Amino acid sequence: MKCPKCQRPVDHEAESCYSCGYSEAAAAAICGGNLVLLNRIHDAAHCLRKRERDDLAYTLDQLELKFPQMLFCVYLGTLPSHLSLSELGFWLLNHGQVKGAEYARPNENAILVLMDMNTRQVGISLGYFAESLITEEDAYRALTMARPNLVNAEYGEALERLFLRLGKILDRKGRQLRKLTREQLHAGLIGAQNPVLDLPQHLSPSLAVKMAPLEIPLKSA
Amino acid sequence: MRRLAAILVVVTMIPLPVRAAKVELPTWEGAAVSGGYDLGGGLWPKSLTPDETGAAAGETGEAAPGVAPDGTILAVSPAVGTAATEASGPGAPRFFGPEGLVDNIGVPSGNRPGVVENPDGTFLIPQEIAEEEAYEPLPPIEGELSDLYFAHAPVDFLIDPQRLLTEQKSNDIKRFLEFHSDESNFRLFVMALGETQTIPENIDIDGLHKKWFSDSPTVLMLYYREQPQLTRLVFNESVRTSLPQSVFDRILQNTLREGGVTDLAPDQVEKMAIELSIQLYWLSKLMEHENTDDRARAANSSIHEMIASSDAPELLREYAPGIFIQDSGKVLSLVFSLVILIAGISLIGLVGWGILAWKGREKISGQPLLFPDFKISPRLGGEFSGGGFVGMSFELGDGSAL
Repeated sequence: MKCPKCQRPVDHEAESCYSCGYSEAAAAAICGGNLVLLNRIHDAAHCLRKRERDDLAYTLDQLELKFPQMLFCVYLGTLPSHLSLSELGFWLLNHGQVKGAEYARPNENAILVLMDMNTRQVGISLGYFAESLITEEDAYRALTMARPNLVNAEYGEALERLFLRLGKILDRKGRQLRKLTREQLHAGLIGAQNPVLDLPQHLSPSLAVKMAPLEIPLKSA
Repeated sequence: MRRLAAILVVVTMIPLPVRAAKVELPTWEGAAVSGGYDLGGGLWPKSLTPDETGAAAGETGEAAPGVAPDGTILAVSPAVGTAATEASGPGAPRFFGPEGLVDNIGVPSGNRPGVVENPDGTFLIPQEIAEEEAYEPLPPIEGELSDLYFAHAPVDFLIDPQRLLTEQKSNDIKRFLEFHSDESNFRLFVMALGETQTIPENIDIDGLHKKWFSDSPTVLMLYYREQPQLTRLVFNESVRTSLPQSVFDRILQNTLREGGVTDLAPDQVEKMAIELSIQLYWLSKLMEHENTDDRARAANSSIHEMIASSDAPELLREYAPGIFIQDSGKVLSLVFSLVILIAGISLIGLVGWGILAWKGREKISGQPLLFPDFKISPRLGGEFSGGGFVGMSFELGDGSAL
């Protein structure tokens, strides 16, 4: 996990970035503290044609049928220079409300694909639940697959390919999880045994174990 | 002081021989003597050369036809020129060159007739006369020449007392026939005759064959120069009776076919000898397995339908590789194996492609998939997202991750 602003590593329970002090409050100060309403395919840059938008909507429909818990959405825009994609993704997932997303699809299950047409960058912002299912490596591979289409300005096709790839990753992860028993899943969730999910490790107990020998000499000193 | 004097003496002495030496330069002849070269190098009488005639005309004050008195060249049509020439009489200047007299008819002297232009502008091209290589007429085979052919049993495998074949080819053919006799059960003799010559009536070639070659199987090929269709093969009586006539007919037919490929006598003899050698090889093979039961089968089968064995003479393979017929069964099995191999590879490739396509398909199908619920503690104050983000630039030439 990295800070959306400075990209430095961040602890999984940190209230703010240790390096730059960035947090949701800082994001709200920049982008606003209000909630915003988003379309599922929010093309603020107007770079998708109707046919591309329809095809992409059909693909997202299929994905939502396959994964009823997940929320798939897209934001295409031209960002100001002082705002990065990761910051916008962080803010949108915490302040945005996707039209038509029912209660079963909260933002923490969201996979938000963002594209900045100014800097020609594309990114995937993940909610808490989604980031436990999709690793950074898988997300990067999916982006790599869509890059040739993006370079050729085939944005609709690129986004379709990207979402299909993400759907495939989710499908694989779901099949892995289905094979686990409840105990194995619980053990995986707490990180004790072969974690199948990309969950943050609870470092405190092990740190305590490792630090104990150090504390003793300190106390004795 | 002495040195100075010596140097002075040397310096004064050196120019003396230099001054005394004179370079002998060639002396040119006078203008009146030079210019005595005649057109044609003196091969023709001086009175016939245009220079002499022109000079004579100049002396008499008359200009040459086509030349103005001031020396400029005038345009004169051939007809006019001819008329003028004829009118001027026998002493008029006419050009005589190596080709002879050139007139307006356009038929140059020599062997080749010229192109004649018709009044309508078309040209009449003379028919080319095909140049045929003329052989000296050969004498009939009689007397001493007949003795050279038929008096004694031949020593060489090539009997050519008239030297009808070229020396180099004769040597090659002899070497080949010697090699053949070493390798084959049949000896092969080639008798070269002229195209107009015939075997004398008093010579019985079959009798001579029996007399000369009764000890071992021998074939005598009578070849008539550049007339391969007249070729005759003489076999031993024992060989001829052991196999049906169709076999010998086919041997002769194949030999003649090879001889008809070329027109030159040495090449014809060479090719026919090679083919006959091959046929004799198979004839010997056929005779080894000959018995009464096989006769009928051999009569019905062609020699060319027999497959080439692996121990066929390498030289023959080298000389005529296309003549050997491959084993059709082996070829079929090879083709069949190849087809099976290609089909197998194609099938494997198809299956692999199918697997890859199945694995790489980007299609959403199947039943809805539900993930187990689990809670993650929030970070950076975010209610739904902690800023998990993966990015990439799609600027051309910049594939870096964000």
